[in-house]
Amino acid sequence: MPPLPVITGLGFITSIGNDRASVLRSLRELRHGFEPVEFLGNPNLPVKVAGTVKGFDFPTPNRRDWRWPASLTVDRELLRGLAPHGVYALCALKQALADAGLDPAALADGDTGLYCASAGSPFLLGHFLDQMHATRGERGNPMCIVSSIAGTLNFNLAACYKISGAVCGFSSACASSSHALGYAMDEIRLGRQTRMLVVAAEDVTAESILPFSSLRVLSNNPDPETASRPFDRQRDGFVGTGGSVAIVVEDAALARRRGVRIYAELIGWGQAGDGHSVAASHPEGAGLRSAMQRALGDAHVNAAAIDYVNAHAASTPSGDRSEVLALHSVFTGNSAKPHISSTKALTGHGLSLAGAMEIAFCALAVADRFIPGAAHLEEPDAVCAGLDLPRTSLDEAPRLVLKNSSGFGGSNVCHVLRRPA
Amino acid sequence: MASPALPTPAKAQPSPEQENLLRNLPSDARAAYERSHNWADPGVLDPVILAILSDFAPHSCAAHLTTLPGSTRLIDDLGFDSLAITEVVFFAEDLFGISITNREIAEVRTIDDLRAFIRSKVATRSTP
Repeated sequence: MPPLPVITGLGFITSIGNDRASVLRSLRELRHGFEPVEFLGNPNLPVKVAGTVKGFDFPTPNRRDWRWPASLTVDRELLRGLAPHGVYALCALKQALADAGLDPAALADGDTGLYCASAGSPFLLGHFLDQMHATRGERGNPMCIVSSIAGTLNFNLAACYKISGAVCGFSSACASSSHALGYAMDEIRLGRQTRMLVVAAEDVTAESILPFSSLRVLSNNPDPETASRPFDRQRDGFVGTGGSVAIVVEDAALARRRGVRIYAELIGWGQAGDGHSVAASHPEGAGLRSAMQRALGDAHVNAAAIDYVNAHAASTPSGDRSEVLALHSVFTGNSAKPHISSTKALTGHGLSLAGAMEIAFCALAVADRFIPGAAHLEEPDAVCAGLDLPRTSLDEAPRLVLKNSSGFGGSNVCHVLRRPA
Repeated sequence: MASPALPTPAKAQPSPEQENLLRNLPSDARAAYERSHNWADPGVLDPVILAILSDFAPHSCAAHLTTLPGSTRLIDDLGFDSLAITEVVFFAEDLFGISITNREIAEVRTIDDLRAFIRSKVATRSTP
């Protein structure tokens, strides 16, 4: 039998919980992770809400000022090379490895690879560059590059866990970690690796989130209860978040040999470019439609068989609309209609983290037999007519789940998950 | 007999950047830094140097660093890697307002090497 990638371990440091049980409760009960924030100490900024990661604090670039929950350990040898999101990632990966029953020493076998996604740390990079300019280039922190550029997660985690298999970082903005998971699946399907660790993370800082305000894509709604409301007529932009999610993917044969729980099978993925704009999504969601169709084709699944779609929908007026049009074109005409929700209503938009975080949510939904509801949805946009957007989480066990992700430049990536037989 | 009065120092204040580096060091290290900073006496720097080393040392050896002989080797005995030594040097450069070349870094092998090296650099610096 050809290799089949399956999810055997999950780790969460997110705005809606720092462990699987809390995340599960938040998804089932639709508890959001938003708090009022004042970025840069400036009360005049229109962005007033973020999906904060509780129990962590990174008030300055000085690592001695950083705090994390006492129950989590971060070695000082590692800390010097980490950005805030590296600390999240390390904690999430430790959780995922424990969840999969893996001894870290087993990861150096050459059959285990590591794919990561993050946008780097504008927070640290900005600090280091300020330092460089202030000294006219005569001074520089030796850990500047490895702690702050976009590959920082793979640099640090590969060294920490002595990974000798495939190691790579992915950079396609908000589709990054969906790409990471897709190519991780392929490593297993091609027989190159038997196990892949997929780790995605983002800082939750002014430096990571506020630049999106200049692009006019952040919500200016100050109310944490309604700021993120994908598909709603009143939506006005996304709410930023960060944190980390780690996913252990193994060949099903290896997982069965080890006797570990399988959350979900990863049976297909697909991607397609919009070929349209550097930042805006295609007005009819052309790339996303193709990506969904390619993922369904790769999985040998008809659209009508999909039970649940975890949408990319970030709560932006134009992005949500594009996705809805793409969903209509894929699912219209099929007798069965999937339930659809965007869990960004609860977490906020995790940028590079978003895809992996939401695939992990889908894996929880499959394993725990429920469908997350469309939180904060009061009055669906007219364009949503005909889509099934459940307002509460449903006690229905999805067998097939489709996950959408889209990023800048029109990168669209979709995954199909299946409940193990 | 009373000690001869020390000349009144022009009390130098650490810069905000130096304060930022100092505030997480132990209190004895901060006090020693204060003395060295204001009296230009590099002889009192030991607690500062050991505190910096301890802060950057691999986890396993940090606790007992102050009890080790000066001949202890940073890499072979304490498990420092070259990046950690570079970080120590970077921190010391900023804190003491000194400049250390790559060639000089390579010559620092033991705790005593580092101690002597920073003392000599601090003693010959132009302005704190």
